[in-house]
Amino acid sequence: MDVLDLARLQFAVTGSLHFLFVVLTLGLAPLVAIMHTRYARTGSTLDERATRFWGQIYVTNYALGIVTGIVMEFQFGLSWSGLTHYAGDVFGAPLALETLIAFFLESTFLGLWIFGWHRLPTWLHLATIWLVTITAYASAFWIMVANSFLQHPAGSVRDGEVLRLDDFGALLTNPSLSMALPHVLSAGLTVGGFVVMSASAYHLFRRTPDQELFSRSLRMGIWTSFAGTMMVVGFGFAQFGPVTSVQPDKFADRPLAAFGLGMMILIGHLLQLIALALVIVVKWAPRWRFLHPLIVLVTPLPFIAAILGWIAREEGRQPWMIWERLKVADAITPGLTGGQITLSFVGFVGVLTLLAVADYVLIVRVVRRGAHEVALGENPAPAPALTF
Amino acid sequence: MDILWFGVLALLLIGYFVLEGFDLGVGLLLPVTADRDRAIGAIGPFVLANEVWLIAVAGVLFGAFPACENVLSANYEAVVLLLVSWVVRDAGLWFRRRLFTRAFWEWAIALASLGVCLAWGLLLAGLGGFSVPFGLLYGLLIAALFVLHGRRFLDWRLTGGGSPLVTGALAAVPALVPLVGTAGAVVANAAPSANLTVLTFMVLPFVPVLAGAQIWVWRAFGKGPVPAYF
Repeated sequence: MDVLDLARLQFAVTGSLHFLFVVLTLGLAPLVAIMHTRYARTGSTLDERATRFWGQIYVTNYALGIVTGIVMEFQFGLSWSGLTHYAGDVFGAPLALETLIAFFLESTFLGLWIFGWHRLPTWLHLATIWLVTITAYASAFWIMVANSFLQHPAGSVRDGEVLRLDDFGALLTNPSLSMALPHVLSAGLTVGGFVVMSASAYHLFRRTPDQELFSRSLRMGIWTSFAGTMMVVGFGFAQFGPVTSVQPDKFADRPLAAFGLGMMILIGHLLQLIALALVIVVKWAPRWRFLHPLIVLVTPLPFIAAILGWIAREEGRQPWMIWERLKVADAITPGLTGGQITLSFVGFVGVLTLLAVADYVLIVRVVRRGAHEVALGENPAPAPALTF
Repeated sequence: MDILWFGVLALLLIGYFVLEGFDLGVGLLLPVTADRDRAIGAIGPFVLANEVWLIAVAGVLFGAFPACENVLSANYEAVVLLLVSWVVRDAGLWFRRRLFTRAFWEWAIALASLGVCLAWGLLLAGLGGFSVPFGLLYGLLIAALFVLHGRRFLDWRLTGGGSPLVTGALAAVPALVPLVGTAGAVVANAAPSANLTVLTFMVLPFVPVLAGAQIWVWRAFGKGPVPAYF
């Protein structure tokens, strides 16, 4: 493989790893916030345990979302300086806004939420998880603005050798963005719904304690994945109009993009069917034990569909970095050596893959351990008694 | 407008050195710290709010000074070292109580904190065209200042010692020197003023929220029992 292939593969692998964690973050954040709202209202132990259990899964998942995101952001500067050179005046704006008015706040509020148990007043503590949710969605918005610019360079004009920002509003109303953003957000809800459903089904099947907690969250997961799959499929098909208006041959003559698209649609419909069937029997689902292993079994599917979706979107842009403006091959950092790209490939792909595996091991462990042994929001150890 | 945004860039980078400085200093001190749970508990609630300053630096660099962003590719190896070390340090904090043994992750945090300091030395020295050995020495100086700052922070947070403001100012000096040295070149490479106007309009309403959130972290976790999540 040459330097260009390695740089592309590095971006694809780190980007996919990043999204595997991000998509669950986007789906779980509102669910944890809703559970926390219930707890703030009722003060019941059941609601508290639910919030802390799902919150612990959320936070464990978030750890890898951050570290993969760090690498994503800097990779533009490291390996793709041709993109910044050509279109930095346009592409840089949404990235800057994402870091300043979305992620900066998200990270700060998440720290307040994690460490604020038993310390912040109830309603302020609750506010932090809602702020985390809002800023996570804002983050998704700005990243999708940046990505949509690559699909269709709206709001920019050619000025000699480079692109200049011409109309900031057009950047935000890009046809490549309008339906893709809700598609991504509802993919998050789908993933979140299926994960909540599956972890609950595991506990119901094993007849562990907390049957009531997991019966409730199973129903919540079913309703969420029902809403999620309906929207994700709806917005998915709604995308074809606007996207093909600016990228008419996106899926023609691009076999990998077409494959990603086809498989994603197939899995999407399957998930939709599963969610529809489950929502019909939602009342009895917690007691129907035969259902539970099946629910656990389908958990990987929404994650796979999410990655296939990105393969369709990004492969469908090739060979362009910016559609019909800048080729990927011309966007790579000039003079990037084989040694450099190998070094960063081993460093980023190697380390992040190991950490991702470790993080999934941890998430599975948190799920199996159940809601009675959760580190997040544990009561602080009582101060040692003074002895004289 | 370009000077304003250079000010933002400088403030964020200095803020990163002051704030992450004590996190990294405490990380470097772990091998010689007796009560590591309390030391990590002391920095724990601050880490997420501190490290994000550097992510904001990168954001401002992309948005307001895209032409300067080649400093990253020009110092490729240093940036890779910085990122890998940063990632390992964070993983150490998240995983320490949960995976393998604590000692493994504590050593990982210490070594990764050193890696971040050395990477900064190489990167900042690289901006001025200095050699690799000089960069490594500069990195060791940064590490020493961070250790000082980290000790002061622990003293303040855990035993009620004086505030770490002075050591914080010292920790910022290694970032201040190259900022002063490159100020003219950076400002000259600012994005067109139309871009900066858009960014200013978008960010300005959030400045009180950004500042408020950071202050809230200090008010909430500056005193009281040490939490035990990390």
